[in-house]
Amino acid sequence: MIFRLCALFGGMMLPVACFLFACGTGEQNDPPLLTVWIHSAQPAERQTIRDQIRRFNAEEEEYQVHLTIIPEDEYNGQVQAAAVAGDLPDLLVFDGPYVYNYVWQGILIPLGPLLPDVIMDDLIPSLVTQGTYRDTFYSVGTYDSGLGLYARKSHLDEIGARIPHGPEDAWSIDEFDAILAALADAGPNGRVLDLKLNYQGEYFTYAYSPILQSAGADLIDRRDYRKTSGVLNSPAAVAAMMRLQRWFEAGYVDPNLDDAAFTEGRVSLSWVGHWEYSRYHAAWGDDVVILPLPDFGTGSRTGQGSWNWGITRFCGNPEWGVRFLRFLLQPEEVLAMSRADSAVPATKTAMEKSPLYREGGPLRLFAVQLLEGYGVSRPRTPAYPVITSVFSDSFLDIRHGGDVKTILDRASTIIDRDIAFNKGYPD
Amino acid sequence: MEKRAVIPSFANYFIMGLLAFVYVTPVLFMIVGSFKPDMLVLPEAGTWRGIFPVTVSLENYVSVFERVAFERFMFNSAIINGLIVGLGLLVNAPAGYALARLRWRGRQVALGFVLTLMVIPFEAIALPLFYQVTVMGWRDDYLVQAFPFVAFPLSIYLFYSFFLSMPKELEEAAYIDGAGIFRTFFTIVVPNAKPAFASVAIVTLLMFWGMYLWPLLVTAGPSVRPLPLGIATFYTLPPLQWGDILAFGVMMVMPVLVVFLIFQRWFVQGVASTGVK
Amino acid sequence: MSGRFRKYLHVNASDAAAWGMAGPALAGICIFILTPFLLAVFLSFTNLALGSPLPLEFVGFRQYRVIFTDTGFSRALLNNLLFLTGIVPTQTLLALMLALMLNQRLKGIAIYRTLFFMPVVFPMSLIAVIWTLIYAPGPDGLMNTFLGIVTFGAWEPRDFTNHPHLALPAIMLLSVWQGVGFQMVVLLAGLQGIPENLYEAAAIDGAGRWSRFVHVTLPGLRNPLIFVIIITSILSFRVFDQVRIMTRGGPRNATTTVVFEAVRVGFDRGQVAMGAAMSVIFFLIVLLITVIQRRLLKQEGVQ
Repeated sequence: MIFRLCALFGGMMLPVACFLFACGTGEQNDPPLLTVWIHSAQPAERQTIRDQIRRFNAEEEEYQVHLTIIPEDEYNGQVQAAAVAGDLPDLLVFDGPYVYNYVWQGILIPLGPLLPDVIMDDLIPSLVTQGTYRDTFYSVGTYDSGLGLYARKSHLDEIGARIPHGPEDAWSIDEFDAILAALADAGPNGRVLDLKLNYQGEYFTYAYSPILQSAGADLIDRRDYRKTSGVLNSPAAVAAMMRLQRWFEAGYVDPNLDDAAFTEGRVSLSWVGHWEYSRYHAAWGDDVVILPLPDFGTGSRTGQGSWNWGITRFCGNPEWGVRFLRFLLQPEEVLAMSRADSAVPATKTAMEKSPLYREGGPLRLFAVQLLEGYGVSRPRTPAYPVITSVFSDSFLDIRHGGDVKTILDRASTIIDRDIAFNKGYPD
Repeated sequence: MEKRAVIPSFANYFIMGLLAFVYVTPVLFMIVGSFKPDMLVLPEAGTWRGIFPVTVSLENYVSVFERVAFERFMFNSAIINGLIVGLGLLVNAPAGYALARLRWRGRQVALGFVLTLMVIPFEAIALPLFYQVTVMGWRDDYLVQAFPFVAFPLSIYLFYSFFLSMPKELEEAAYIDGAGIFRTFFTIVVPNAKPAFASVAIVTLLMFWGMYLWPLLVTAGPSVRPLPLGIATFYTLPPLQWGDILAFGVMMVMPVLVVFLIFQRWFVQGVASTGVK
Repeated sequence: MSGRFRKYLHVNASDAAAWGMAGPALAGICIFILTPFLLAVFLSFTNLALGSPLPLEFVGFRQYRVIFTDTGFSRALLNNLLFLTGIVPTQTLLALMLALMLNQRLKGIAIYRTLFFMPVVFPMSLIAVIWTLIYAPGPDGLMNTFLGIVTFGAWEPRDFTNHPHLALPAIMLLSVWQGVGFQMVVLLAGLQGIPENLYEAAAIDGAGRWSRFVHVTLPGLRNPLIFVIIITSILSFRVFDQVRIMTRGGPRNATTTVVFEAVRVGFDRGQVAMGAAMSVIFFLIVLLITVIQRRLLKQEGVQ
């Protein structure tokens, strides 16, 4: 009896297989689709984009936007595999600094000629920089990022620290070290700083490579993007990273396994980006101030760049893609996305209307940093994926007490070797 | 087998019971947790309430369906595994029979071939196979997740072993009557090989139901992804609600668990026979 | 063709019919197992990367050198070896103990067998998720509580999956938990295959229980034991799912494994040629283990 079932089953599978083979998963149904991939971001951002697509689809008659959400940690692999298989969606979102590698792979088409000037002029300059590779504009973000030090004002007042007014006024690194020491003395267990050690990979490059730039070093020689040697492992870089290492050695840094070091008041300072604003504000209200990152020698520097949109070469109707992007860049939509995570609005028009980012708003510092050039974009090179993975690993090694010079030397060697092997990533 | 019990009966049962209980705790934990409100799962984990149902509610199960398309994952797993098992039986059994019973040119080579390839673990070829299918544009559908596993050396070998040890009288009778190979195979051999088919089907199902690596490489997005990927993605989807995740897990393992419990005799037989050569 | 098999074969079979029966399966394994294997060897000597517009070229043994210096592969090999030395003895001993215990004619013993075997049936991705919860940091975590009880409160709650030294053992534990059932079943079958009269003869000769175990049970279990040891050794190199889901290579490569590293490099970063080189080395290791098995089994004259 069971056996007959099995036989029946096996026999049934053959026509099923043929059927599946014949029709594949191609969804050639009406209306035509504009396929879109995004990463699985925070719930608020995800919900916002879903709502935006819903709004857009309600208005748009010629086609419908079809969304697929891909988990963040496999995103890059999936995109590359899809590119090779000829299976990419029409539009996709990707982490900012990866655009240059995707352009190099030939995945994206230039957006410059497709977007009207009125939009290009309205974009904040950091986003224009981010989307430009070899003088051509390829990707546009609907928001940018802000990075700084969240601080408990009451704790700073207690130790008599001065409060910087803006990035030009940032604490020097010596001042910063003194403040850390004073806070540690005043606090219960010596832990005063949250460096988001519970985060992964890419974040460490984003958050801590500005230290190198502030110290006069960098991740790579930006004149020709071919070598890191002498830049990543320069004496200035080593010195800066050693100061970072001393914070770990002195026990100032909270491991933050529960991601609640700041919200539970265990630390006074949190070195992180805009997305924590609502949580931190909810926890401590007006006692939270946002300060620029310390100046390691040549001025305070901070990170910039975030997820942004590009149109792939597989898009049959780039005009449709552009229509969708223009929708997303409308002021109300930009503000909606900005509200989701407290991100920096992409356009100057939206920024003026944003309660968080306009003049006098609580996150104005982030806007100022981006508008006035304190933000440094991550290296705009197809070698970026290698640079970031090696730098992140190096950060963790430094965190665990390794010899900084050796670590940076090794990082530099590996990156340079990869660049050489790829023949400098030629056009 | 030693007939004498190792130690007196009651103590025996007690010790084994205790061991089994500790051993099965994670499973109990999963089941009980799936019926608890999310907020209680972690705090009660370390207490007796973690493995003993106090509050019972179906809210997690409902929530799973609201948050992801669970039925889609289940459907995908069913199709993919159905194909692998169903087509596998159709393809591997005749091969095992030909190797065991027929004399033909190349038989020796073919047998060696199968035995050699059996040694290669899937992970060793996962990446190049991924590249192979990707370059052909074959991605993100059911067939690419099933086809590579239809022809399976272990299945061929299990059938081969079985047919070797099957008594030949019935076949010989058929051949004497003038029946051809195919007819004999399908009408006489197969109906008498039910245990083999059952074992192979079950072993294959249990091996591939939990497959994670291959679908990860060749699919993007949830439309054709099977359950193992579903739970891995669900687990990383904020907000982190453990009750929902455990409910997902319970539903995901139910089919194979049921199959296993009903057919465990065959399965255990299949497993044991590979080891006790 | 050995004489033993001759009597099993029929004579009146046309080659065409036989190829018709075996053909599809053979073609399948050719396309989906042999070809990728050869492709891996070939690619490992090239510079292939997904999406790279650079032309394909041969680079000799470069990938084999680079994977040891520029990726986590060396650490992965070490981790797999640690896995092997940790899991094989533990799992085998535990399985043997359970098999001996279950090898009694007590009523309802099959239930215990089912319970111990059940985890084998669970998908590893599910087990990884459940055990992530079990390993939850802080005093409420199941594992932390359990260790606290067992050490009479001496145990401090730890975050297992983020701990550079505890992460790998944590993963080993759950692998053991899943795998014991399989070994137990094989050893149990082996135990049941040992003829009763051997024990009786030994008892008559005055051998005590321990002596009977060492001189009758263990030798009788030789083949099943070798089999489970080899299978478990090979499996300890195939670890992937739990690492990908629970630790993603662990605190700074503390839990990376050969397969995980190959996927990380070959898929996540698109460096297919490097991943291929890792796959080839992985295969060679498995081959080595298998060859050792065949040698050991041949000594008994069993094929």
